[in-house]
Amino acid sequence: MKQLKQVLGGDLRQYTMVLALALLILIFNVISGGRMLTSSNFQNLLSGNAYVLVLALGMLMVIVIGQIDLSVGSVAGFAGMVMALVAKNYNVPWWGAVLIALAIGILAGAWHGFFLSQLGIPGFITTLGGMMIFRGGVIWISHSISVPAPEQLKWFGAGYLPEWGPAFTGMNNSTLLLGIIGIVCFAVGQLRKYNSQKNNAVDATPLWAVVTRIALMTVLIGYFTYLFGSGRVGTSFPVPGLILLLLTIIYHIITQRTKFGRHVYAVGGNKAAAALSGVNVKRTYFLTMMNMSFLAAVAGILFVGRSTAAGPADGTSWEMDAIASVFIGGAAVSGGVGTILATIVGGMVMAVLNNGLMLMGVGADKTQVIKGFVLLAAVAFDVYNKKSGKSSIIGKLFPSSESKKAA
Amino acid sequence: MMKKRTLLSMALVATMALATFTGCGGSREGASSTEPAADTTATTDDAASDDAATTGEYPGFEEGATIGVSLPWLGTQNWKEAEEMFTAQLEEAGYNPIVQAADQKVTQQQQQIESMIENGAKVIVVGPVDGSQLGSVLEQAKEAGVYVIGYDRLLENTSGVDGVVQFGSVKTGELQAQALLQGLEDLKGDAPYNIELFGGGPADPNAPNFFKGAMSVLQPKIDDGTLVVVSGQTDFTQCATVDWDNAKAQSRMDSLISGFYSDKEIDGVLSPNDGIARAIITSCENAGQDIPVVSGLDAENESVEWVWSGRQYSTVAKPTSDLVAKTIEIIDSLQAGNGMPSTDVKVDNGVIDVLVYELPPVVVTKDNAKEVFADDPSRLELLK
Repeated sequence: MKQLKQVLGGDLRQYTMVLALALLILIFNVISGGRMLTSSNFQNLLSGNAYVLVLALGMLMVIVIGQIDLSVGSVAGFAGMVMALVAKNYNVPWWGAVLIALAIGILAGAWHGFFLSQLGIPGFITTLGGMMIFRGGVIWISHSISVPAPEQLKWFGAGYLPEWGPAFTGMNNSTLLLGIIGIVCFAVGQLRKYNSQKNNAVDATPLWAVVTRIALMTVLIGYFTYLFGSGRVGTSFPVPGLILLLLTIIYHIITQRTKFGRHVYAVGGNKAAAALSGVNVKRTYFLTMMNMSFLAAVAGILFVGRSTAAGPADGTSWEMDAIASVFIGGAAVSGGVGTILATIVGGMVMAVLNNGLMLMGVGADKTQVIKGFVLLAAVAFDVYNKKSGKSSIIGKLFPSSESKKAA
Repeated sequence: MMKKRTLLSMALVATMALATFTGCGGSREGASSTEPAADTTATTDDAASDDAATTGEYPGFEEGATIGVSLPWLGTQNWKEAEEMFTAQLEEAGYNPIVQAADQKVTQQQQQIESMIENGAKVIVVGPVDGSQLGSVLEQAKEAGVYVIGYDRLLENTSGVDGVVQFGSVKTGELQAQALLQGLEDLKGDAPYNIELFGGGPADPNAPNFFKGAMSVLQPKIDDGTLVVVSGQTDFTQCATVDWDNAKAQSRMDSLISGFYSDKEIDGVLSPNDGIARAIITSCENAGQDIPVVSGLDAENESVEWVWSGRQYSTVAKPTSDLVAKTIEIIDSLQAGNGMPSTDVKVDNGVIDVLVYELPPVVVTKDNAKEVFADDPSRLELLK
C-alpha cells in the first residue's frame, strides 16, 4: 500500500474520479460487447465532444473567479454563423473566416468583461443579456436558415492527421509520433522533478517509484496511441482532439504556472484579500470573461466543421453541458476551487456516459435523466466530503497548490 | 498490433480485386493492392469507395442485419408513430432495429448515427433535425459501407446519402393552399378575403418548399385582389415559425390580430402543420374573432377531431405508414442486393443529385375524413 502511494504520488483518493471514469469505460465495454473500446468509437467520442470540453476549459476559469457565463452557446453559434456567412457571401478565404470568428469571440468577451469588471454587473446578468443578444443575432443574420461552411473547415471538426512514413509500424504514424512525444515529455518532466527534489526535499519520492510511474504512464499512453492509431486507414488521433489536447496543456500551464493563473484563484478565493495584496481584480475579471468567449468561438468553429454547416440553433444549451463538466470535475460554486485537468475528466465522464448509453440503444430521454443524477451524485459526494471535515476528493484529484491555498 | 491492419488491407485487396473483375479497376493505386500490410494509404481507400460509387453498385447484406433509425424527436405524433412502426415492422421483417430519437439536438443525432455505425448497422434511416448539418457523419457512414436513407426530410450538403423518402413537399403546399381557397369560398361568402400566412421551421428544408407550393397557388389570387394579406407579411422569413414551435406561432398570431385586425375580420390562415393550426385557432378564439378557415398538415389526432367538429377546416394526411412501408421496401431491396429502386425524381442537395422517392399526400376535410381514414382504425375512432 505504501509503495502504491509512492508510485501514484500521494493520496490514493485523489484518483477517485479517474478510476470512476476508467471503470465506466470498462463496464460499458463489457455491456456493449466490446464496442466501447474501439478506434472508431474513441475517435467519435473525441470529435463529438471536443467542443463541450473546449468550453469547459474557459468555464472552469469563469467559475473559479466566482462568476458564471450563460452566453457561451449563443456566442459559439454566432461566431460559427458569421464565419459561414462571410465565407459564403463575401468570398472570404476559409482562414480569414476563422480569424473573423475568433475576433468576434474576443469582442463578445470584451463586451461581457466590460460590464462585469467596469460596471460591476454580475456575470450571471451580463451573460444572460449576452445569451439573448447573440442568440437573436444568429437568427437575425441567418434568417433562420442553415448556411453551408467552407469545405476546408471540416478538417478542424472531423479531420484526421496525415498518413506518412514507414508501414511497418502498423498504425497511423502521426498518432504514433504524438504518443512518443507524450511519453518522452512525461518521462523528462518526472525525472527533472526527481532531480530537483533529490537535493532539497526530506520525503522525496524514491527513484524506483518515479520509474514505475513512468512505466505505468507509458503503458497508458501507449495503449491509447494504439487505440487511436490502429483504426481504419486514413484515420488517426482526431484533429479536434489534438486542438483540445493543446488547449488543455496551455490552460493547465496558464492556471497553474503563471501570475495570471494565481490571480484567478486568488480573486475567486477571496476577492477583498486579493485586492489588498495587490491583485488587479478588474483586469482578472475582464481577461477571464474575454478568454471564455474566445474559447466559445473556437468551440463554434469546431462544431461547424463537424456539421459542415452553421445552423440557427447551434449552441443551444451548450453552456449547461460545460457548466456540468466543471462541477462534476469538483469546482466549487462559491469560486476559488477547481482545476483544468479535473474539469476535463469531469467532461469525459459525461461524454463517456452519453456515448455508452447510446451504444446500448438507450433513448435521449432516459440518458438525460441518468446524466442529471450523475451530476447531482458527483457534487453531493464532493460536498459531503468537505462537510465531514475531509478535504474535497474531486477537487484534490489533481494536486494544485493554488487551489488549496485559495480555499 | 499488425493484425487489424492486415485484415483491413486484405479486405481492401478483395475489394480491389472485385472492382477489377467487374471492369472498373481504373484505380489510382492499383499496384498497392498487391503489397502486404499497411502500405494501403488513404488514397487507396478513397479510390475503392469512389469505384463503388461510380459504378452504382449496391452489394447486399445478410438477413437479420442491424438497421439504424435516427429520428429528430418524439414530440409530435407523426414521429412517435414512425418510431413505433419502424420498431415493429423491422422486427417483423427479421431485422435487428435500433430506433433512437435525438431530442431536436444536432449533436445528439450526430453521435447517435456514429454509435449506429459502431453497432454494425447496414442501413441507417435518418429523419434529420437539420438536414444540412450531418455532412461529415454521413460521409463516415458511407466510408464504412453503410447505406443512408433520408426519411421525410432531404439530407443536404453531403455526398453520404443514397436516397430520400418523403412526401412531395411543394405538392403538399399546393394542396394546403387549394384547401384554404376552397374553405374560404364555402364558408366565408364572397371575396375579398382577409388572410395571413404562416411558414414552418426554417431549419427543416421542407418548410420553404411547403410555402413555395402554397404561394404558387395563392400569389395569383393575392395579385387579382381575391385575397388580402392584411399584415403585408408574405416573405417566408417573415412568416416562418422557428423550430415549428406552436407557442411562437401563437404569439405571432396574437400580435397580428391585435396589430391589424382590431376593426377587421380574419377569414383564413395558411398554416404549415396541425400544431400551428391549432395555435392559430386558439389565438383567434382568445381574441374574440370568428374562427377563420385554417389549413394544416400531418392529420394529428387532435386536429382530426377539430376537422370533424368544424373548428379546423382542413388538414393534409401524410400517412406515416406509407413512408415507413416505402422505406422498408428500399431496405429489403438493398438487403437482397438489388440496389436502390428506380425513381424519376432527383434533387440537387448541394453536393450530389439525390434519388428522391416522393409519395402523394391527401387533403382531409370533414367531407372526406371517413373515406381517407377507412383503413386507420385509431383515427376512425375519433370521427364520432
